[in-house]
Amino acid sequence: SPTDSHIQYERVGADVTMKCGSMDWDAAVTWTANGTDIDESHLNGSYLILKNVDLTQSGQYSCYEGSSWHLKYQTYLRVGIPPKEPVLMCRSNNYPKGFYCSWHLPTPTYIPNSFNISVIHGTREMVCEKDAFPRNRCHIRYLQLFSTVKYKVTLTVTNALGKNSTTLTFDEFAIVKPDPPESVVAKPVPSNPRRLEVSWKNPSSWPDPDSFPLKFFLRYRPLILDQWQHVELSDGTSHTITDAYAGKEYIIQVAAKDNDIGTWSDWSVAVHATPWTEEPMYLTTEAQLTETTSASTSSFMPPPTTKICDKGAVVGS
Amino acid sequence: MAAADSPSAALRRRDLCSRGIRLAGKMRSDVIDLLDAYVERQGLDASASVAVFEGVPVAAAEHWDEQTGTQRLLENLSAYRAFRSLLAQMLEEQREQLGEADAPLGQALAAVLLQVSAFTYHLEELLQLVSPGPPSEEGPGPPLPSHLSLFERKLRGLGVLRELAQWAVRSARDLRQLNKSSPGSSSAPSPAESP
Repeated sequence: SPTDSHIQYERVGADVTMKCGSMDWDAAVTWTANGTDIDESHLNGSYLILKNVDLTQSGQYSCYEGSSWHLKYQTYLRVGIPPKEPVLMCRSNNYPKGFYCSWHLPTPTYIPNSFNISVIHGTREMVCEKDAFPRNRCHIRYLQLFSTVKYKVTLTVTNALGKNSTTLTFDEFAIVKPDPPESVVAKPVPSNPRRLEVSWKNPSSWPDPDSFPLKFFLRYRPLILDQWQHVELSDGTSHTITDAYAGKEYIIQVAAKDNDIGTWSDWSVAVHATPWTEEPMYLTTEAQLTETTSASTSSFMPPPTTKICDKGAVVGS
Repeated sequence: MAAADSPSAALRRRDLCSRGIRLAGKMRSDVIDLLDAYVERQGLDASASVAVFEGVPVAAAEHWDEQTGTQRLLENLSAYRAFRSLLAQMLEEQREQLGEADAPLGQALAAVLLQVSAFTYHLEELLQLVSPGPPSEEGPGPPLPSHLSLFERKLRGLGVLRELAQWAVRSARDLRQLNKSSPGSSSAPSPAESP
């Protein structure tokens, strides 16, 4: 019947002709768009003609018989674009459990799209289990480790106006990229004006750091300079910086990489810390010293307030 | 000889594991350098997929995390013995085919062969410690590729080096598992491992 929900998809820029259901060409009719009458200039007999449609012309189009106002035809016009080649990325941040693939479209299509992903390893098709969130992502469990056979992942995107696909081919070890280290903490070392103690944790997504140890890259610089200093650490999750400029606030970040394969993680959240500094001694002048000696009170007066930073001496995320 | 789980044997085992992990790491980086040179010198395509040639030990493993220590060592040992023969064959072919024309590739190949041999002895020593008994028999070496064309031999060589690079990663992981499960091991890797 005319009111059946009928969706019509058209490309941006297309010319669209709508017939008024079974009505003759020369029948008297009225067309509305979202309930608003359409000017007769858009009609050719009882046909509705829409030239070079754009996104704003999406909506509900209805056709009524002239005299009886019976609804003869109704459609929902969706103006959109065929999908462009999707952007696909696969990565293992929980090696050796598996890897995930995520994707997005470089430009919107304004109409619904469906995605289909296939993962082939040698001759074996593997299941990519869709993640509830984020939506455009699925994960694959490694059935084999240390394989020299490449993985081939093909993502196909389809909508009412077209279809497109992307294929990635990669080695198991090439996509291993841990998440950044977590709980980075930097703190001054009492009585050491040039030291800062930095500690962090393995990313919680890395399942077995004992068998698959991570190595780390630490970078640090005083806020007043742009040049980073780097140090690579292949053991443990802490390091003492011994060449810090006394009294200068530092910014510190850490990255992680599997000891044997893959690429470096992104940098961790940055933390700030300032090396320990000597408490300033507020000495009074000689004259006052002699005067106060008989009063046998200490000439040393503590500084008004010792403020290292807002959140106390330890700054970390 | 110290019982397999005496303190000194445990220390010895951890030391062998740690040194083995470092040996595997060094071997892997040299094999990758050799692989790049081999692909270039032999005019091959680095991204080419290579079928598995008979006799070339495949590093891929399923249920790898369920293997026992002895299984790991036996599989490693069998693989590196095969690589020792395969690399020796490649060196022979390379000299026949290119003679001194490509000495650097030959030297790199010989250097990796030396490391593979050293690693094989290392594994034999470790196996003796982990599961004392008669030394495991060395099976017949991989078949000589007499029937292969020159191009097929080049592809086979590419396959050998790719699998060896993966085996080196796998061996490091295996030895870490062995280290983890050895008596008296704390979960953290032993200090002997730090550079």
